[in-house]
Amino acid sequence: MPSTSKHQPKPQSGVSRRGFLKGVGAAAVVTDGILARATHAADMPPDAAALGKPISGPVEVALTINGQKRTVTIEPRTTLLSAIRDRLDPPLTGPKLVCDAGTCGACTVLLEGKAVYGCSVLAIDVIGKQITTVEGLGTPDHLSPVQAAFVQKDAMMCGFCTSGFVTAVTGFLNENPTPTLEEVREGCKGNFCRCGTFPHVFQAALTAAAHVKDNG
Amino acid sequence: MPTTLPATPPPGKKRIKTQQVVNGVPVDVEIDVDDVPDLSWGDNKKHRLLNTYLPRADGPAKTTGTAIYTADVRLPGMLIGRFVCSPHAHATVRSIDTATAEKMPGVKAIIPVALGRQVHFEGEPVVALAAITQEIAEDAVKAIIVDYEVLTHNVIADPSKPAPQRGGRQARGRGDETATNAALEKCDAVVEAEYRTKIVHHCCLETHGMVADYRGGATADVYSSTQGTHSIPGDAARTLGLNETDVTAIVQNMGGGFGSKFGIGIAGQWACRLSKQLKAPVKMMLTRRDEFLAAGNGPGSIQQFKAGANKDGTLVAVHAVQYALPGIGGSGLGSQPYQYKAKTFYNTLNTLNTNEDSSVAMRAPGFPQASFAMESLMDELAYKIGMDPLEFRKKNATNDAHRRQLDRGAKAIGWERRNPTPGGGTGVLRRGMGCGIGAWGGGGHAQCVVTLAIGRDGSVTVSCGSQDLGTGTRTYMKAIVAEELGLEMRDVLEKIGNSKLGDANASGGSTTAASLAPAVKVAAVNARKEMAKRIAALLGCKPEQVVFDIGKVIGDGKPLDWKQACAALPAAGLSVTGEWNAGLSGNGAHGASFAEVEVDMETGYIRPIKMVHVQDGGLPLNRLAMESQINGGMIQSLGMALYEGRVMDAKLGIMLNPGFGDYKLAGCLEIPELVPIIDDDDTRNVVIGIAEPANIPGVGAVANAVYNACGVRVRELPITPDKILNGMIRNV
Repeated sequence: MPSTSKHQPKPQSGVSRRGFLKGVGAAAVVTDGILARATHAADMPPDAAALGKPISGPVEVALTINGQKRTVTIEPRTTLLSAIRDRLDPPLTGPKLVCDAGTCGACTVLLEGKAVYGCSVLAIDVIGKQITTVEGLGTPDHLSPVQAAFVQKDAMMCGFCTSGFVTAVTGFLNENPTPTLEEVREGCKGNFCRCGTFPHVFQAALTAAAHVKDNG
Repeated sequence: MPTTLPATPPPGKKRIKTQQVVNGVPVDVEIDVDDVPDLSWGDNKKHRLLNTYLPRADGPAKTTGTAIYTADVRLPGMLIGRFVCSPHAHATVRSIDTATAEKMPGVKAIIPVALGRQVHFEGEPVVALAAITQEIAEDAVKAIIVDYEVLTHNVIADPSKPAPQRGGRQARGRGDETATNAALEKCDAVVEAEYRTKIVHHCCLETHGMVADYRGGATADVYSSTQGTHSIPGDAARTLGLNETDVTAIVQNMGGGFGSKFGIGIAGQWACRLSKQLKAPVKMMLTRRDEFLAAGNGPGSIQQFKAGANKDGTLVAVHAVQYALPGIGGSGLGSQPYQYKAKTFYNTLNTLNTNEDSSVAMRAPGFPQASFAMESLMDELAYKIGMDPLEFRKKNATNDAHRRQLDRGAKAIGWERRNPTPGGGTGVLRRGMGCGIGAWGGGGHAQCVVTLAIGRDGSVTVSCGSQDLGTGTRTYMKAIVAEELGLEMRDVLEKIGNSKLGDANASGGSTTAASLAPAVKVAAVNARKEMAKRIAALLGCKPEQVVFDIGKVIGDGKPLDWKQACAALPAAGLSVTGEWNAGLSGNGAHGASFAEVEVDMETGYIRPIKMVHVQDGGLPLNRLAMESQINGGMIQSLGMALYEGRVMDAKLGIMLNPGFGDYKLAGCLEIPELVPIIDDDDTRNVVIGIAEPANIPGVGAVANAVYNACGVRVRELPITPDKILNGMIRNV
């Protein structure tokens, strides 16, 4: 039987981790504790430093990305990924938005050397911390050992997951420089690829590990 | 599109059989092509660069995050688009209240659909809007209230019920039903079985999307995540109200298509409409949820068989009733008995529509589904007559290539280790093996126009408007030119992904390499001949005596290095074009897949152990990329067999798993040992695409391995532990 429904769309991601996170960010993240950290940090530009109380709109902050201090206007709810891709000018677009829910790893960046999902970290929470994106690992002319191994082993096809895999493998090898194949699988399990490059990604990770071992 | 041909080819033309791809679906056609002498690639074993392991040309860009995709494009003043989508599977839009959203700072445009419009699946867009940031666009989506009259829906296809509202396609019969039924009466063994596969999703990591850059005036640039650069300007120009030639499509990189990205799609249409209204660039990328609900899918299937064989291993009769489940759309399925010859057969195909988004082409459209059913059936028959399933296949396969590949694959997986008794052995963890075969037409056709320019400084650029889906287009373009001119890969620059470059076919049906590579080869040959003409005088020999060695051009024993030779060119350098040559591409790729799995008899958990896929494809342009493609085919097959499937709530009409948290794909922990084998016994020295054939037989191989391991025949994909456990209860 036909019925009627007045529909106001719910947040697109429903109860996904990131939807929850962003909701939290919009409503409550800007507590004294967080902003205290931010405002006391020398990284804060003057106008943001003036903000001593909760905010809900855009605020200008400085993030340390690939060794550089970059000024960016964010909202409390802005994720680190969105800050990097959508708000930084010029942007860094190596980390990709794919699942928007902390399930695929395409947005992986290094936070203090450790791999995290950029879509599941709020930008305001990482002020003053060292953020490294895939662009900070090497350049086309000077590939990092992991990047070079990915090229050598053809560990990419369409390439949309590749930034995340390269970054995740880099972070993983920082923690475990001499992994076994099974450990590589574990280390990469937060990332996925639809083209089916997994076996070559595993080979690349092992090749990069061997290279680092041989060359310090 | 297939067109009507004259009775005989016109003068200067010759008629050839090939495949053309319409929306990703291959169609066998005859076409007339220029009757020029066929060129040759030469012996497959005698290449310097082709048929070797070449690292991807765009590898450094992709591994450093500097490769730019449509999702990465940011332009000055660019706005972000979002959709409000129907939460109902079937409803009429009664009213749309946008008042609150319109007042939100930063919201620039809201375009609702017409009131009274019916939506036919959950996720169908009813409002498109654009705002200055993604966050504001999402706030605006939440602020719009849509009033629907909810109508009855059906999201569960059931062949025993009459076709639902949109009407199923009528049965199309092939073969002889009377003879098939008569033959079934006399077979030594008969199997009656129904196989089901769910609607599956492409799961392109880059969602469908476009950045439409129209700022008033007569021209526009559109950045599109597409499988067909040249499929974009026409549609975009119509929506923008511009001349087709004034719209430039740009596809530098694209994050996966698998058949779902032809034309501009809903994201492109609305990006163009919003951009036209706002005279500003608009980026409309589907959200992941939109992508699952409204960006197309691969059809599900229900296939009912009655088939019989004799004890000597002869496949006698196959009666197959197939239903494609393409949502509100249409779809085919590979016809039965697929790659096997039965003495008699009868096959019908119907469509059962549901209130779900329309199926579109998906990597070998309808063939993994057909192959899974047929390979399961073959397995059931083999066990029933007590014959090794491998031998049963070899006896009934249509093509000798498959017999060769079955032997090769069996050796690689260690078929002799297989326990012939399904579920045999003791212990909690039991292993089993299965196999399957598949084939695909592929082949090339005349459309690509390749330009090759050589500068006086020795620079070489090869260009065409084609696109690289991750298949390695850029890499083989460089390799073909470098090999022909005696250069290295690094000496050649490639340019693709722009509709202002030469024409190119859309990438569907595994036809890109077979269409583009010949045109590149012809351009390179033409360039070599033109160079020879210019250099011959300088070297005091005839043009045909000029030899292109590695980094050198030699005539009459006198070598010039490449740069010296190029210095003899006129100031404008040299520019030649190349088009497809029929002798350089071929049709017909064959593959055989093997799988080994381990089943936990207590939990039903399936652990993939090993997969092998043997694939022919004429001349492998790049063995490294071909192995990547074969791996990808095995992994997607594994996913379809064990993990993937759209789950619907029958009552609410909604999809329960529209995200990567719940739509399970094969990932790092599931990937078994993979052995991609290029079948070099295929000595055809022509280019044949292999993306789809590598994706076909693995599904059946995995399903058959599961049966061999645990003795439970699961006839409905995906094969999940609950189905194994239920089967064990039935078996007791």
